[in-house]
Amino acid sequence: MSTDSVADGASVSARIERLLRHTAVAVRGALTRRDGQLLLGVSGLAYFLLYLAGLRHLGFGPAGYEVSVVSNPLTRAFRQVGPFQWEPIALVVVGPVELLVSPLNVLLGAVLASLVGLNLAVSVVAWRGPSACRLGPGAGAVSGLPGLLSGFACCGPTILLVVGVQASAGLLSLFQWLLPITVVALLGTLLWVGSRVEPA
Amino acid sequence: MDLSRRRLLATVGAGVTLGGAGCAGDDGSTTGPSSVAGSGSGIGTPSTATDRGDGSKPPTADGRLHLDYEIGTLEEKIVSGGVRKDGIPSIDDPTFAETPPEILAPDDPVFGVVRDGEAKAYPQYILVHHEIVNDTVAGDPVAVTYCPLTGTAQGFERGPVEFGVSGRLVNSNLTMYDRGTDSWWPQMLATAITGPLTGESLREFRVTWTTWDRWSSTYPETTVLTEDTGFSRRYGTDPYGQYNEKRGYYSSTRTLFEPLQGDSRAHPKAVVIGTRTETGTVAFDKETLLNQRVLTGNIGDTPYVAVADTDLTTGYVYANPESAAVEAADDGYTLDGTTHEADSLPLDRSLAFDAMWFAWAGFYPGSAYVD
Repeated sequence: MSTDSVADGASVSARIERLLRHTAVAVRGALTRRDGQLLLGVSGLAYFLLYLAGLRHLGFGPAGYEVSVVSNPLTRAFRQVGPFQWEPIALVVVGPVELLVSPLNVLLGAVLASLVGLNLAVSVVAWRGPSACRLGPGAGAVSGLPGLLSGFACCGPTILLVVGVQASAGLLSLFQWLLPITVVALLGTLLWVGSRVEPA
Repeated sequence: MDLSRRRLLATVGAGVTLGGAGCAGDDGSTTGPSSVAGSGSGIGTPSTATDRGDGSKPPTADGRLHLDYEIGTLEEKIVSGGVRKDGIPSIDDPTFAETPPEILAPDDPVFGVVRDGEAKAYPQYILVHHEIVNDTVAGDPVAVTYCPLTGTAQGFERGPVEFGVSGRLVNSNLTMYDRGTDSWWPQMLATAITGPLTGESLREFRVTWTTWDRWSSTYPETTVLTEDTGFSRRYGTDPYGQYNEKRGYYSSTRTLFEPLQGDSRAHPKAVVIGTRTETGTVAFDKETLLNQRVLTGNIGDTPYVAVADTDLTTGYVYANPESAAVEAADDGYTLDGTTHEADSLPLDRSLAFDAMWFAWAGFYPGSAYVD
């Protein structure tokens, strides 16, 4: 029994190591290609902007030019205002574009955007590759959706007004879990894609 | 470049010090209260703490306002609004200016307060991001509060304590907490439903929902709350819709949370001017009141009369136990052969405020509705 357990443990460990190695190879492979780099950049940037828009940190407003910073930004930056949302410490206005800068949300958005970009890049590169490892590129994109929705969890959450659904305790609890679900989904799809790629 | 669009809170990089030593609003503007009961925070540092209660109490009324529900039932109906306690930060160090912010249009809504001759305007577009202003008007510590989801702007005496936004709602209504005892106060009820002050009602004062041009015409000496709140917000955008041409949540038949009780006597977002006493409630349809100028209703057996102030597009409600005849005249309202301003009839005035009908009917299903 114990010998089997040790063997099983070693087997699982080996499989995980293999999965990670394959995923790393897939990511490196995707990023060495021009289309992979382009996808990572474009989709990552698009997701990042959508995430900030979902938080209402990015959007259009009265035209002007302004950079303003709150008086105690380092303290304020760590003040949590909602699930995975922190206090903005600066406002940047360029023409009609307004951006509230919340450093931790910028960091979180960048991590999510990178994961979405990597998912898409690896998926599309794999999809264009040999038929044995063809995958639909949609998986990587869809896995990022909960993260976008989590941005709307503020202010009401007003996204429910748009979709015409009344808020309930259960629904609001779900909103709190959208972001962790996103991270798990993005990592899961990335590993899944990686598992389908055979290192050369 | 339009650098005057908004005044800078601070120049880039200024005050970047750990420990929150910097202060906002220390610029010579007319400022609100600078001390915080039991907070130990620096003067002018916007408060963000939630656990600094020292037991100080806000002043409460001698009697309790009427409730249509048991307090326990109301407590059970508390729901999360999706944000943390103080996630919507109150303005604790407000600054005022004599000239309005550039983006405040003449027809934009403001909430006006006059106490002992001092007039102040609180623009809705700023309060939608903060909901509570802990201020001092004519030397009195007060809280001017606004709930976007129920369309209610109300004023409360606060004594030595501040109010904050609990992040919870009842019947879609802002639930405030006091930073002295951490009792929770649904704004419209003005009565604590949890905490040490449960069952007590706050002392209230009149807040007038009107527009900037009407307010500033009536009170030319008014000051107006500035965007220098100590917080970074996109003040030109309202997450729920807009009022200057009503759109979004403010005009939709939909509510974000299910009302305590539905009532089809009026459009859910129709504005009523409601009043509640220790014995009951009555609501007057605001549009009808502004058109007809005088409406009558009852709380129990006691007649009430509502009169319109067409300059400020608001209304006042009076107890009228003798059913005295009140008639609209060119320059006010006649009562017993004398003409009076809308806000100064020789009757007992009952505090009244604007509210969305669904919210009023949800809290007060037994309320009379006059249209």
